Amino acid sequence: MITVDDQELEWFEGMTVTDLLERIGHQGPCAVVRVNETHVSRPRFDETPVPDGAEVYLIPMIAGG
Amino acid sequence: MGTLQHTELASMSYEIPELDKGYAGQTLKVDLGSAAFEIKPVTQDMKETFTGGKGFDLWLLWNAVRGETKWNDPENAVCISSGPMGGTPIYPGSGKSIVTSISPLTGSVMDSNVGGYFGPYLKFAGFDALEVSGKADGGNVLFVDGETGSIQLLHMDGLPEESYALSEALTEHFGGKDRKKVSVVSAGPGAKNTFFGCLNFSYYDGKRRQTRNKQAGRGGIGTVFEDKGLKALVVKCTSFSVDSNNPADKDALKACAKAHTRNIVELDPKQNQMSQGGTTFITMIMNDHDLLPTHNFRYGQHPEAKNLGAEVFRRLFDPGFDGCWYGCSVACAHGVKGFVPNTGPYRGRQVFVDGPEYETIAGVGSNTGIFDPYTVLEINFYCDIYGIDTISFGTATAFAMDCFDSGVIGLQQTGGLDLSFGNRWSVLTLLHQMAAGEGFGAVVGRGVRHMKELFVREYGADAKFLQDIGMESKGLEFSEYMTKESLAQQGGYGLALKGPQHDEAWLIFLDQVHNLMPTFEQKSENLHWFPMIRTWFGLCGLCKLPWNDIVPADNSETEEPAKVIGHMKLYAEYFSSVTGRQVTPDDLVLISEKVYNFQRLFNLKMGYGRRAQDQIPYRAMGPATVLEYESRQDRYDQELSDKYGLDASGMDTRAKLTALREKREEQYEKLTDAVYARRGWTPDGIPTLTTVKRLGIDYPDVVELLAAHGVTE
Ligand code: SF4
Repeated sequence: MITVDDQELEWFEGMTVTDLLERIGHQGPCAVVRVNETHVSRPRFDETPVPDGAEVYLIPMIAGG
Repeated sequence: MGTLQHTELASMSYEIPELDKGYAGQTLKVDLGSAAFEIKPVTQDMKETFTGGKGFDLWLLWNAVRGETKWNDPENAVCISSGPMGGTPIYPGSGKSIVTSISPLTGSVMDSNVGGYFGPYLKFAGFDALEVSGKADGGNVLFVDGETGSIQLLHMDGLPEESYALSEALTEHFGGKDRKKVSVVSAGPGAKNTFFGCLNFSYYDGKRRQTRNKQAGRGGIGTVFEDKGLKALVVKCTSFSVDSNNPADKDALKACAKAHTRNIVELDPKQNQMSQGGTTFITMIMNDHDLLPTHNFRYGQHPEAKNLGAEVFRRLFDPGFDGCWYGCSVACAHGVKGFVPNTGPYRGRQVFVDGPEYETIAGVGSNTGIFDPYTVLEINFYCDIYGIDTISFGTATAFAMDCFDSGVIGLQQTGGLDLSFGNRWSVLTLLHQMAAGEGFGAVVGRGVRHMKELFVREYGADAKFLQDIGMESKGLEFSEYMTKESLAQQGGYGLALKGPQHDEAWLIFLDQVHNLMPTFEQKSENLHWFPMIRTWFGLCGLCKLPWNDIVPADNSETEEPAKVIGHMKLYAEYFSSVTGRQVTPDDLVLISEKVYNFQRLFNLKMGYGRRAQDQIPYRAMGPATVLEYESRQDRYDQELSDKYGLDASGMDTRAKLTALREKREEQYEKLTDAVYARRGWTPDGIPTLTTVKRLGIDYPDVVELLAAHGVTE
C-alpha cells in the first residue's frame, strides 16, 4: 500500500510513477511528484519506481519561481 | 552603546509617531554631503497611488533625480521601504523591504527585494521609507534609534571591511544585550570595486546567537551605497506586536493570517518542503526539464547536476527554524554552519554561510560548470561578505568562461587565469580579485555589457557573436533560468522593467512544460497579470513565496491554478484588514498597475524604457551556435517542419540555425506587440496618455515627458 496525496492506493511490484498516475486517473498538470523525500520530474516518471509504503504527493509546478 | 570609536557628524531628535493602518506617515531623507536630515510627510496621494514599498521608493527617487543623473552623481539616492503590511509578525512572509536606486549596470531605475529586519524596524522607528543621497568621505554610519527618537550620522573608524563581520560588530555596538532590536544594512569591498554590488540586510538569529543576512542582490545598489561613502545603515526599534501597525481590523487580520499559516504548516511538508531545504529542490527539477543553465546558458542539463541537488544541501544545512522575519512559517532561509573555506581571508576558519538558494547554486555552480557543492558554498560566502550579487557574479563569470572557451580571450587577457568551464580555483581567484578591484576580476566585475564592449574594442572580438552569448538585457545579467523553449519566459525576462530577473514573471512551466498558454493573447494576458500581481508584493512589504510556492489543497480544481486564487483572496483580506481599503484580488492588479507603469515611465525619463531596450540576446531565444543546435537537433528539426512547414532534410546545421532564428526572433517581436497592447503601451513600449490618465499618474511632468516622446493620446 502507498499513499498519494494522503489517499491510500494499492501498490504492485514494479510500479512506476507513470503507472501510479494512470491508476489514479490523473488529468491536470503534473510536472513533478514527490516520492518520499525525492522530487521526481515528468521526464523521469516512466523510469522511476515507487517503493511499497511510499508517501507520494503530486506537485503541479505551475506557479512558483 | 558599545565601545567602537565614533565622531558625530550630525544628529536630531524626532517624535516617534504612532502607526496608523500600516503607515508611519512620514519618510526620512538624509543628505550625506551636507550631513542634513529632513522628515517629509506621506501624503494621501502617495498612499493611494504608490501604496508603499517599491512605490514609495520610486516616488522619492523620481523627485530626487533628473533624466541626466548618473548612478554615481550625488543626487542619486538609495531608497528603502517595506510597505503597509511590512512588520506584521503573524502573517507569513511579512518582513520584506525593497531598495531602489539608479543602477551602475543599467543606468536606469533598479529595484531589489530583500528579507531581514531593516524595513519593518525602520517603520516601527517612525519612517515608511528612507532616502539617502549625497556623498561623504567614507566610513559613515547612519543610526536611527526608534527607542529614543533620535537620528545620528556618525563617522566610525576601525570597522571590519567585510559585510558579515561589520553587521555583527554594529549589532553588538548598538544592540548591546538587545541584539534582536537592531538591523544593519551594509555592502563590502566587492560592492565598491564592481558594478554589481549587493546589500546585506541583517537579522538576529536568537537560537544561533549570531547575526544573519539576506541580500538585496540585483543591479548594483551595493555599489551605489559604497560610492556614497556609506559604511552602514543601522536601525533600532522597540518591541513590537501585531498591534504595532495599528491595523484597521485586527480580528480580520488574525483570521486571514491564521488561514494562510495553517495552509503552509500543513502543506509545505507535503509539497516542496521549503522549511527543510529552501529553494534547493528546484535544481534537479530544472535539470530534468532541460532548464538548468549550464556553461553560460548553452544547455539546460548536466549529468553532474545531482551534486547540487536538494538531497546534498539538505544534509549540509544546519537544522532548525530559519524564517527571515517573525512568523514566517515557510522558514526557507537556511544556512550552513561550520563551513571551512579553502581560499581567501577566511581560509581554514569556520564560518556560517547564509544560503545557498537555487539562484546561487545555478549561477555560481552549474552555469560556470562547477558541480561541487562546497565550492558553491565558498563562492556564496565570499560573494555575501564582499557585497557581490551571486546572480550577476555567476552570469558574468560564465560569459567570461564562454569567451575563454571560444577563443575570444586567452591567458594573456585573463592575467594567466585558466577560465575553462568548471575551473573552481580560477573562479575563486576571480572573486577575490573582484573584491580587491584587481586583475581580470576587476574586468568581469563590471558586468557582461562592459565586457562585451571591451572585448570588441580591445581584442577585436565579433560584436554579433558576443551579443548572442552575452546574457544581459538592459545591462543587467540574466537570472538563472533557461528560456530557449519558452517564448513567454523570454518575454518575462525581456519585457521586465529593470532587466532579466524572474521576479516579474516565471512562466516557464505554465508555457513550456504544460503548454497552457499556446496563443499570443494568452501569453500577453499572463505577461500582464503576473508582473502586476508580483509587483504588488513589493509594494506591501511581502514575500511572494508563501503565495505560490505552497498551494492550497484544492488549487488544481480552480479555474486558473497558476494564479493560486485561494491565497490571493487571503491577501486581499490581509490588505483590507491592515489598510482599511476594501479590495478584491482584481483590485490588487490595479493597485500595481499604477506603480508598474510609473516605473516604465521612470525608465523613459532616464533615457530608456522603449522597445529597443526590451531586446534579449539570441541565446535566450534559441540555439546560438551549431554546437547548441546539434545537441538538441531532433527538437529543433521537428519545430522547423511541424511548426513552420520547412523541410530541414536538405539543410546543413548552419542553414537550419539561421532559419530557426528568423522564426523565433519573429515570434518574440509578435509577443512584444501583443504585450505592449495588453499593457496599454504604444508599439514603442511607452504607456499611452490614456493609460496614464486611467491610472491617475498623469502628473504634469509625466505628461510633459510623454509629449516629449510624441505620446499625446
Ligand atoms: S518565505 Fe523564506 S524568504 Fe520569504 S519571508 Fe519566509 S523565510 Fe523569508
